[in-house]
Amino acid sequence: MIRPELAEENPGKKIIMLGNEAIARGILEAGVVIGAGYPGTPSSEILPTLAEMQKFYPHLKLEWSVNEKVGFEVAYGGSMSNVRSVAVMKHVGVNVASDAFMTACYAGARGGMVLISADDPNSYSSQNEQDNRYFGLHALVPVFEPSTPQEAKDMIKYAFDFSEEYQSLVLFRTTTRLNHGRADVILGEVKVIDRDYGFDWDRSRWVCLPSHSRVLRMRLLERFEEISDYADEFPFNALKLSGEKINGIRYGFVAAGVPYSQLLNALNYYGIVDKVSILKLGLVFPPPKELIKKLFAYSDEIVVVEELEPFLENIMKQIAFEEGYSKELTIHGKDIFPQNGEFSGEIYLENIARLIGLSYKKVPVPENMLIIPPRLPILCPGCGHRSTFYAIKQVEKLMKTKFVNSSDIGCYTLAVYKPLEGIDTEVCMGGSIGLANGIAKVQSSDNPVLAILGDSTFFHSGIPALINAVFNKNNMLVVILDNRSTSMTGFQDNPGTGITITNEPGTRVVLEDLVKGCGVSPENIWVEDAYKLNETIKKLEEAVKAEGVRVFISRHLCSLVESNQFRAQQIIPPSIMVDQEKCISCMICINKFGCQALNSNEADKKVSIESSVCRGCKVCIDICPQDAIYEEIE
Amino acid sequence: MEIKSYNLLNVGVGGQGVIRAAQILSYAALLDNYKIRTAETHGMAQRGGSVASYLRFGTEVEGPLIPRGKTDTILAFEASEAVRIFNYAGPETVFLINENIIVPPVIRQMGIYYPNLTEIRDFLKNVSPNIFFIDGIKIATDLGNPRTMNVVMLGALIGLQVLPLKKETLQKAILSYLYSKFHDINKKAFEIGIEKGVELRGGSND
Repeated sequence: MIRPELAEENPGKKIIMLGNEAIARGILEAGVVIGAGYPGTPSSEILPTLAEMQKFYPHLKLEWSVNEKVGFEVAYGGSMSNVRSVAVMKHVGVNVASDAFMTACYAGARGGMVLISADDPNSYSSQNEQDNRYFGLHALVPVFEPSTPQEAKDMIKYAFDFSEEYQSLVLFRTTTRLNHGRADVILGEVKVIDRDYGFDWDRSRWVCLPSHSRVLRMRLLERFEEISDYADEFPFNALKLSGEKINGIRYGFVAAGVPYSQLLNALNYYGIVDKVSILKLGLVFPPPKELIKKLFAYSDEIVVVEELEPFLENIMKQIAFEEGYSKELTIHGKDIFPQNGEFSGEIYLENIARLIGLSYKKVPVPENMLIIPPRLPILCPGCGHRSTFYAIKQVEKLMKTKFVNSSDIGCYTLAVYKPLEGIDTEVCMGGSIGLANGIAKVQSSDNPVLAILGDSTFFHSGIPALINAVFNKNNMLVVILDNRSTSMTGFQDNPGTGITITNEPGTRVVLEDLVKGCGVSPENIWVEDAYKLNETIKKLEEAVKAEGVRVFISRHLCSLVESNQFRAQQIIPPSIMVDQEKCISCMICINKFGCQALNSNEADKKVSIESSVCRGCKVCIDICPQDAIYEEIE
Repeated sequence: MEIKSYNLLNVGVGGQGVIRAAQILSYAALLDNYKIRTAETHGMAQRGGSVASYLRFGTEVEGPLIPRGKTDTILAFEASEAVRIFNYAGPETVFLINENIIVPPVIRQMGIYYPNLTEIRDFLKNVSPNIFFIDGIKIATDLGNPRTMNVVMLGALIGLQVLPLKKETLQKAILSYLYSKFHDINKKAFEIGIEKGVELRGGSND
């Protein structure tokens, strides 16, 4: 077994790390025992990197939990048992975990406990761009935010010491550019923590019933006050003061995280980094009041540089008001920088130039601008989701109606685009079934209601909504796209595969049994291979027309996973051809199905198949009304 | 070499190895003792979408993103992607572009017009005078493996003398990411790429 560099015990060695790898390394160096969470871009590489390290550090106990709430609870159970524990998730995952988080903050940490929230300004891979610094404000939990991979590693290591010293949870917030950027990082020492661990039966602390919670709430407030007092000494905060004026004004900048390092780029670009004061925050909440007051005393104008909400800006304005600076100090923030999206490099250059009165020339748009049509992400060739959505469309056509296709978070969300246009809603994990419950209450029976979601999403939070549908007789057809993988986030295993994050056999949960257990009657459950189009259409039609809550499981292994398995086992997929005599250029295969392996000749519109792209699923053979597509058997 | 900041933008289509190239280049920059920052496209956008990786190294690099107009080198594994990000280039920017065009399947299937190489060349002429095209796929295919296209292109950057990294360190970085059975063909791809770069520059290999 080759030991990866990032698992080496070689303090001082400098290597290149992805932000998420640096975070994993920091977790290892801190002596953490339990790591749990649910995959979600941009957080997904953290736990798998730890799983690689686990081969050399068997004290690590890691899992993909079934959802973020359970993941948080697993980690918190570890903290209760006096081991250092981390919960890892993307920003919207914290919404799921927040039920536990908002009360765990009362009882606090025993073993160091850190919740990693990977936020996604610009919604690169997310349904929203919520700003999770507010969870710290909401729960009175300190929020740490690193600005580089090196700092991420060092800061998360420190976060566990901090958590134990103050018995407080720590919210460790990152953004996409930190998670998915590489940098040179110097390894530190891997700490091994030798202490007694196990549960401590402290009921007054761990049983959060009203009479205990009132007391715990007081402890939370005291703890938070202590942390606020310490904020000025926080080792990852830094204040650099300058008395210099630019055009007669002393500027004081405030920033944290990636915007801090991007701000330095811009100040370096204009050569003014030494002419302005800069307060760099590693602890974005609570604020370091003394440092802020010093900054105020050295500045005429404060410029808060932060993506998304005016979180730090509002804190600065509050402190300026409380300390009597509000008359003489101008505080800039969202009046200069956008409140949406990620800040690109030129946003810093342009806005700082405009504020300070420097010259910045925008890149001109040439007159003969060449438009390149967008390259939207699409379902892969051979994807079982595509054939399932095609089958649903066919049943719609047969029944001469329009379905309400309530859908969910996963690769299949891409079926919203042409030519499938197969989904009508997407809000949150498991939301497909939840929303369908409400839609079904009022929708006329002429428009059957479908809830379409993936296997991992169903395990994550589809189950309670399905039970709700059964219990309340909110009739619908639930279609579970069972591709045995959490594909969009990197093909992680889930209860349906029964393989754990460290590649050990867990217990496989059988979907058919599970939905039966949720109360769906056995005659209302259908299962079919997603590649068997004709059978799928036939069974789907039955399922749509049946009464009550029905479940259709459309099953085929994720085609990316399958094609990798084929390559490894040197299996050659079937060779699919088009008989040019038989093809009548009707374009049904391209215009309605749209697998990217299908090409049409520009002159006569006859179809051919690009063999290097085709994965041999054979679904197009069933689609062609002329039987022109066939499998070539040597 | 003392460099304040060198900015390289590598673009392509999901699956072309853009992220791997970022790994290789940042490892090479580490071997040459630079401070390094990259930013990459992961997740949903990778499903056949446009992929971009920003690489910055030097003594003055802090954040990973490159402002528009400030890129030193644009390395495009697919030609139309170079146009998509043209505004990251200024008049000094050097483009090295693989001549290959991958028309998005949906665009192709819907019969929407997609620009050709001539139009791409004509457009980019107005952006920078330093545009170099290379038939990376053909060179790699002639060598026996089209997947060595990226390594041909990395070699060409060295040949063009636009990359402030040592040839030896870049080769070491490339090989460190490959199984040993692929070393010989990639060494050849790197050398041919260097020759091609020298040829494009119109200079001698010094």
